[in-house]
Amino acid sequence: MEQDKLSNAILVLSCQKRDEPAFRELVNRWEPRLYYYLRRLVENENDVWDILQETWLAVFQNIRKLQDPLKFPTWLYRISHNKAVNLLRKENKYVQITEEQMADYCQNNNTVLAVKEQTELVHKLLGKLKLAHREVLTLYFLEGFSIREIAQIIGISEGTAKSRLYYAKHKLHEALKGANYV
Amino acid sequence: MSESNSKKEFAENLLAQDPPPADKQQRHKEIIFKKLKLRIWRGKIIGGTIYLVLGLAAFWAFQQGQNTDNIVHSICWGAASLHILLWFLIYFLRGIYRLTAEIVEKNSGKDEKHKWKNQDRFITIVAILVFTYASSILYRSFFLNDYLKAAHLSGYIFWATVFFLFWYPFGTASLLAKLWLEYKKMELNIPKTEEQNLKSQGR
Repeated sequence: MEQDKLSNAILVLSCQKRDEPAFRELVNRWEPRLYYYLRRLVENENDVWDILQETWLAVFQNIRKLQDPLKFPTWLYRISHNKAVNLLRKENKYVQITEEQMADYCQNNNTVLAVKEQTELVHKLLGKLKLAHREVLTLYFLEGFSIREIAQIIGISEGTAKSRLYYAKHKLHEALKGANYV
Repeated sequence: MSESNSKKEFAENLLAQDPPPADKQQRHKEIIFKKLKLRIWRGKIIGGTIYLVLGLAAFWAFQQGQNTDNIVHSICWGAASLHILLWFLIYFLRGIYRLTAEIVEKNSGKDEKHKWKNQDRFITIVAILVFTYASSILYRSFFLNDYLKAAHLSGYIFWATVFFLFWYPFGTASLLAKLWLEYKKMELNIPKTEEQNLKSQGR
């Protein structure tokens, strides 16, 4: 994990010096992850490719402004989140959820997840969750981002990110129960 | 298996559930890199054009000074040629200074960054004001009849230019020195190897 982070940071530093092969490597490395993440946010596949393209162009244009290369993943996801939200807002599909609404939505406290091996099922169930839940869970499962990093990517407070992740886990657990897995 | 490994495996399995179609991914990458190449080239062409235009403008001014019969105009065109070249050099030196400052800035705290940015903004504004003032003096000196006064004014405008010609190289040098000191500090703080630790414990 640490080695991955370090090689990523080196790639980012090379990209800051406008090294094209390094940028290619960065795209190869991160594109499948971004694609998966964006597919959870945006339904239309063509839109996903458009957002990906905009994201990479923005990355190339602004990578010199990135102060800490180790924070590249958070920064990258933040850019693609913003691009996706812009598109969803245009189509009136993005709705901000308040913590109260989230609390009404879930009332049970059981949040234990014991399903790490059942990725296929988790993948299917993610599609059935609300967009906000789907997003935090994807970030959590895919990159193992911390609460703080998730909050930075989505542009919400740490408290909101924490409760959103809590409720999302809970909803996934319920869905797994429904699928007779737990 | 450690927790981080199982998390990694889980993420990889999750990714495998919805991988990007290879043909579309390939096409998408081709488009991105084509666009990026175009952007890089556009930047180079714009930069190159600016250099070329400024160089040609300075040379044109120099030629004007050589071809005129009017002594005042000859002096002023010569000064204009130098004026363009020197400010172009200042702009170039400022670029190097900022590049170095960006590297140093990465290692400094928020207050220091703020201080540096304010200082840089102030110097840039002063430089723009000085450039405008010097250009206006040079323009006015074209309409003088006394060539001694024209020569005096043309020489006078370079005093301010010299300040910036010193400021940016010395600024860059001091930043480089700071960077070197940071490096030395880092070198001194490198933790001792296990062998060295054992030796020191043995004593």
